[in-house]
Amino acid sequence: MEEDEFFGEKTFQHFCAEFIKHSQEIGDGWEWRTSKDCSEGYMCKIHFQIKPGMLMSPPGTSAHVQTCLPMEEALELPLDDFEKTETTTGSKVIKYEYHVLYSCSYQVPVLYFRASFLDGRPLALKDIWEGTHECYKTRLLQEPWDTITQQEHPILGQPFFVLHPCKTNEFMTPVLKNSRKINRSVNYITSWLSVVGPVVGLNLPLSYARTASQDEGNVN
Amino acid sequence: MAEESESGLQLPPSTAAEGEGPTEVSPETATPEPPSSAAVSPGTEEPAGDTKKKIDVLLKAVGDTPIMKTKKWAVERTRTIQGLIDFIKKFLKLVASEQLFIYVNQSFAPSPDQEVGTLYECFGSDGKLVLHYCKSQAWG
Repeated sequence: MEEDEFFGEKTFQHFCAEFIKHSQEIGDGWEWRTSKDCSEGYMCKIHFQIKPGMLMSPPGTSAHVQTCLPMEEALELPLDDFEKTETTTGSKVIKYEYHVLYSCSYQVPVLYFRASFLDGRPLALKDIWEGTHECYKTRLLQEPWDTITQQEHPILGQPFFVLHPCKTNEFMTPVLKNSRKINRSVNYITSWLSVVGPVVGLNLPLSYARTASQDEGNVN
Repeated sequence: MAEESESGLQLPPSTAAEGEGPTEVSPETATPEPPSSAAVSPGTEEPAGDTKKKIDVLLKAVGDTPIMKTKKWAVERTRTIQGLIDFIKKFLKLVASEQLFIYVNQSFAPSPDQEVGTLYECFGSDGKLVLHYCKSQAWG
């Protein structure tokens, strides 16, 4: 009965596969990657944002670049547009990487993330926090190390920031229990990521909501 | 989609819901004061329609989150999820360390700046938008 809250690597991979299927349908950019020996895998997304407060480019230089986009919207422009923008105007473009891994010890998914400028300089955590939605900022700034730590990526071996997983079950369990009560299955990954993503500047498009939950036995 | 008759969410005020004894907050004793003028108001007489400015939102509690005595609210289309969260937190008198999450389709948390109007267009039915809310002490 408790299986839904704690799940194994296989279930994790299944939910990730479903999630990525939808990501591909809407061009949201998530990919599955495996470790060298293919025993483990994780989801990965890279996106680029303009550092807030900077104009992207003077009007007329780039037709497909909007000026003064709110941070959350500057997500979907293709890579080469940003490279051109960066060199012509000196705007700061930031590359965000989000990885979703499975934690054997906590038996829940974990969000790893890092950010860097295009020249490879990493962003400090405090700069990443500036990209965090207002509502989470207060809490994060008060107790940052309770929720975000820096750790070595288990597969890549590089330093990433990590949203600590120890409390994941606390907010996931009521949602899962509620859905079970009415015979709906929940894609744990979709649901979980929709909650934790915004904390670190990752917003899931609304269309994922349809895939987050469905009637058991129904195939949409 | 869950209807109002499902278990656990419609218990009368004198009964503890979900076995955890959540506080029932009624409008008579805790009058809601929305942060901005009339952006959220009890949805008793306001008709919801696609052409009207306000959306009928039905709020349902998840887990041991306190149940709001007034569940149906008329909310402006442009109200964000974050605005709604702040409102519910105030209404339920949650402390600062408590987080509140709002879900559509009972499982998906829209981005904080998502507008109620957009959510209604995607997930509304029978003239209303059902949102589930859940409190948590936790993060991560």
